[in-house]
Amino acid sequence: MSKISLGDILINARQESIRMRHYYLGVEHLFISLLEIQGGLTTAILEEYGITARYIVDAIRRVAGKGNRQRLWAGMPNTPRADVVMSIANDLALEDRRTEISERDVLIAILDESDSIPIRVLKRLRISPQALLEKAKNAPSEQIASLNPPYTRIEFGEQFDSAQSITDEHVFVLRRMFFSHAAVRVERRLPGGYSSAVLFVVTPINADNTTDSPIVIKIDRTDNILEEAARYESHVKSSLPPLTARIEDKPIVVETSDFAALRYTFVTDANGYSRDLREAAQYLPDLATWLKNILFPYFGKTWWMQRSPYRFQVWMEYDWLLPPLLILEHIAENDAPEEAFTISDPVKRARLQKLDYGAVVIVDGFSVNRVYRDQNMIQLTLGKGAEASKKAYKIQVKGINLSEYAFFRGEVVERLAGRVYETRTALMLQALNALEPDFDPADDLIPGSDKSVRLPNPLMVYDNALDEFYNGSISKIHGDLHLGNILVGVDQNPFLIDFAQTRNGHTLSDWAMLEVSLLNDLVMPSQGDTWGTARAILGYISLINRGKEIPSTAGEIRQMLAPIQAVRSIVNQCLAKTETRAEYFIALSMCALRAYEWDTISLGARRLMFCLAALSFYELQQMPRSSESGADSRTSIWNE
Amino acid sequence: MKDMRISLAIMSGLQDGSMIELSEEGDNGTTNGQKWTLSIGRREENDVCLRHDTYVSRYHALIHYQDNTWWLEDCNSKNGTFIEDNDDDARVSGTIPIETGQFFRVGRTWLRLQDF
Repeated sequence: MSKISLGDILINARQESIRMRHYYLGVEHLFISLLEIQGGLTTAILEEYGITARYIVDAIRRVAGKGNRQRLWAGMPNTPRADVVMSIANDLALEDRRTEISERDVLIAILDESDSIPIRVLKRLRISPQALLEKAKNAPSEQIASLNPPYTRIEFGEQFDSAQSITDEHVFVLRRMFFSHAAVRVERRLPGGYSSAVLFVVTPINADNTTDSPIVIKIDRTDNILEEAARYESHVKSSLPPLTARIEDKPIVVETSDFAALRYTFVTDANGYSRDLREAAQYLPDLATWLKNILFPYFGKTWWMQRSPYRFQVWMEYDWLLPPLLILEHIAENDAPEEAFTISDPVKRARLQKLDYGAVVIVDGFSVNRVYRDQNMIQLTLGKGAEASKKAYKIQVKGINLSEYAFFRGEVVERLAGRVYETRTALMLQALNALEPDFDPADDLIPGSDKSVRLPNPLMVYDNALDEFYNGSISKIHGDLHLGNILVGVDQNPFLIDFAQTRNGHTLSDWAMLEVSLLNDLVMPSQGDTWGTARAILGYISLINRGKEIPSTAGEIRQMLAPIQAVRSIVNQCLAKTETRAEYFIALSMCALRAYEWDTISLGARRLMFCLAALSFYELQQMPRSSESGADSRTSIWNE
Repeated sequence: MKDMRISLAIMSGLQDGSMIELSEEGDNGTTNGQKWTLSIGRREENDVCLRHDTYVSRYHALIHYQDNTWWLEDCNSKNGTFIEDNDDDARVSGTIPIETGQFFRVGRTWLRLQDF
């Protein structure tokens, strides 16, 4: 039995109340206090549901909301409900002839009272308080303190390249996930995406040495995993084709680790071999046809083909691809001068660009999108609720003492002050300088593939582009459709994985992302790294933009660019208005702008991405501006 | 319309767990024969006074009983009136029907209508 006394529970509960500026003792504070007991009964029971204490704590804080700076009463009174709970706990101890109220008594009392904020939060998470109550009553007390997970052997398959790293953290999470198996064989690590996530193909092995079918495991930061599971529930589950990778079971979250995992079902090909499209592209006889005739219709029926007209302002759909708008260094709100610049909705970006380093800025009405506990940093995004999930206008605030200030995901920050440490403009310029441009980064025009045509410098035009409106379509989209997230299984069937960004959004953004990925992952690695090479490839893309054939003199490049042409033919089927491709070029420019700073792709690929952004902006400039006949899909809110 | 009565449970904040019982007989609310109206706000003169929540406006919201239905009306409050809607709280604009047992939020305080 854990030796936590009631006194400790109450001290913890009061501290939580102060962190939230509540200054009363409520059932929510008592419950959070129970969740903070390491190896306690409450966390042990909830872990069986695959949910961490941390996650529930944040969910409770979200419902309760943070209080006002100003105190309206002295002391720390109990709420009437907390009094009820404490008297139930007291009765439980008395019935048992104990003098001291235990953690279990408080937990049972909270579950028994059944009408408090934490109970409502549990119900929303589909955890039955009644079932918890049974577990709490029946848990044998000796077991509680020693919940050591059974030992699961980790083996490595022949295809596992020992050069591919697997960290202790990964092994730990895998053991937890397969605790009921004797062993698990890690077949291989999939190259995966560009985020912190890693993907393994593993085969679970039972105690009698029989094996289960291989599955794909994704391990990532807990927040990301839980968000993907939630998006899968709301957007993906009901719209998948009959045969595809699905998320199985609930995510596995390990209390003592920042990492969590989820598993996708996975069907291997005839040789028991599984690949993502990056590798499969080498084996598929005709990748272009596969994209057009298999991938697109397979998922398209419930995704991209069910689209409706959608007029959007570029930043709403695409700002999240760009670096943070600002990085701030946190200062105490009281130290902010009266005249400090306030950022709130609507964001006036033009004025932000005039801010100097060190200027004090106050952020108002942004949501906490991510808390980096190890770095004392939080990331904010504009708006609240559904709006915040678009993740536009990221602002990072560093140097926050997170043990003193409670920040939780989804919290709306009302007044947070910081000094400007870095701006988006500077971050994007640094990323360009890392590519060692052979032109002046401050020029309005930069060289293109053709000496006679110079292209707009993306750094000079992207900001205005964010404010433009486009007519396009909205549908269910994958949100991060790159080659690493497309798996090829039996009979060349497509499987999509990684639903962390899946949502209703601009239909063409999936295809712009796939084009960018095809160029970076399939075309550029075999080409050179020079600006000259990048511009040569750009010349061919320019031909594709014009619907022209790539000359046979181009050699192997012609074959390599066939999948790009396939993507364009899919795009043509998905245009909101036939022949009006502006909505695609804006998507492509933004996806390319996101990619030119990725250090996971080759230097040549990053240079091509910068050029591709320039070319896409050039194409947009060439298109007729909105006229009375409405022939164009683009209009600007600026008077020209 | 006779013998109108309802309970309002406070479901969060300093007064979490307390129950306010309101009845026409007890001189709560105003009535015009068709409609019984209860007011919620930070000021003392409201039928339901939430003085501890600074996010509550002085005259924040109204609850009506009319045509055998309960209605919730937001009085253009600064911080809004919300009803529970899956994962996200939905802001009330104008007057909407509400059922007993349903949660709603005035400022930072969660409330629930209950039969007396």
